[in-house]
Amino acid sequence: MRSASFLRIARLVLPAVVLSACAPKSWVVLMPNEDGSTGRIIVTGETGQAEVAEAGVAASLDSPTPETFKVTPYRIEQTFGGALEAEPMAPAVFTLYFEVGGARLTAESEALLPAVLAEAASRDAADISIVGHTDTTGDPADNQALGLLRASFVRDALLAAGLRLDRISTESHGEGNLLVATPDDTPEAYNRRVEVVVR
Amino acid sequence: MTLLNRIACLLWICAAGLMATNASAQDDPIGYVKTHAGAAFVVSAGQSLEAVPGLALRQGDVLRTGDDGRLGLTLLDNTVMSIGPNAEMVIDEYLFEPGKEQLGLGVSLLRGTMQFISGVIAKLRPEAVKVKTSTGTIGVRGTRFLVNAGN
Repeated sequence: MRSASFLRIARLVLPAVVLSACAPKSWVVLMPNEDGSTGRIIVTGETGQAEVAEAGVAASLDSPTPETFKVTPYRIEQTFGGALEAEPMAPAVFTLYFEVGGARLTAESEALLPAVLAEAASRDAADISIVGHTDTTGDPADNQALGLLRASFVRDALLAAGLRLDRISTESHGEGNLLVATPDDTPEAYNRRVEVVVR
Repeated sequence: MTLLNRIACLLWICAAGLMATNASAQDDPIGYVKTHAGAAFVVSAGQSLEAVPGLALRQGDVLRTGDDGRLGLTLLDNTVMSIGPNAEMVIDEYLFEPGKEQLGLGVSLLRGTMQFISGVIAKLRPEAVKVKTSTGTIGVRGTRFLVNAGN
């Protein structure tokens, strides 16, 4: 009897306390991107889904249907301090373009090579990806090979400029990773590029 | 073009072809450890290695931290992840060959906390990226988020 009336009072007077006592142990919180934009996450539990599109809003991961709730910056820092402190530097992307009809870099792109070297030298245990891209003109398999040709030229140019690093990967995305979305068989100068990523 | 030049050119193309094959080999790194503190380990093919910056990562690797540990890594598609103390995370799946339309990233956070900053795979094919805990799954639409897998 006594506990029943306590429960009734609790339901009436202390909903906030009851709610926080049931706070999830597992949850995910959306954060703003480095550029200030915010993406979305879709959280799926056993029986339902929730979508979060606002920074600072969390969703429970241990209820059958995820429930959303707001999280204070203080709680984020308390919970995730270690993971946030371990965040590596953001990868630096350099985009190099080619003279038409060849594998020769444009003068502007050639002038970027020292900046790539400086970026690599400034990082602890840097690794570099050199990825060649093409536009959608022609056969995808040919473009795969052309992308690799371009990437290899950039690698050689970086080595000639003095790059000393073991962790270099040279690869091609062919026409599979366009900078400017186009239909098939479309010439597009901005898609004929090599991206050098220093991490 | 002289005959010698032609032969050199052919050899060069062969070498480029070999590199292309190597780039997709199972054993190639999918990323690297970048930051660490305290007790932080990578269990790779049954071997436990100290997670020092520059350590190569492969699909299937398990990342673990102790009471005072933390660890940060980058993957080749520019996904950036880090875990806090007492965490365990598995890289279940990693496929990054946009030229062959092969894309996939699956990560499980078994305990502890993590930060996830999405990369090129999430940009090219968002539905191919999944972050799981024992009770829920997070689908990624180009973004940054924090996960707490409390037990």
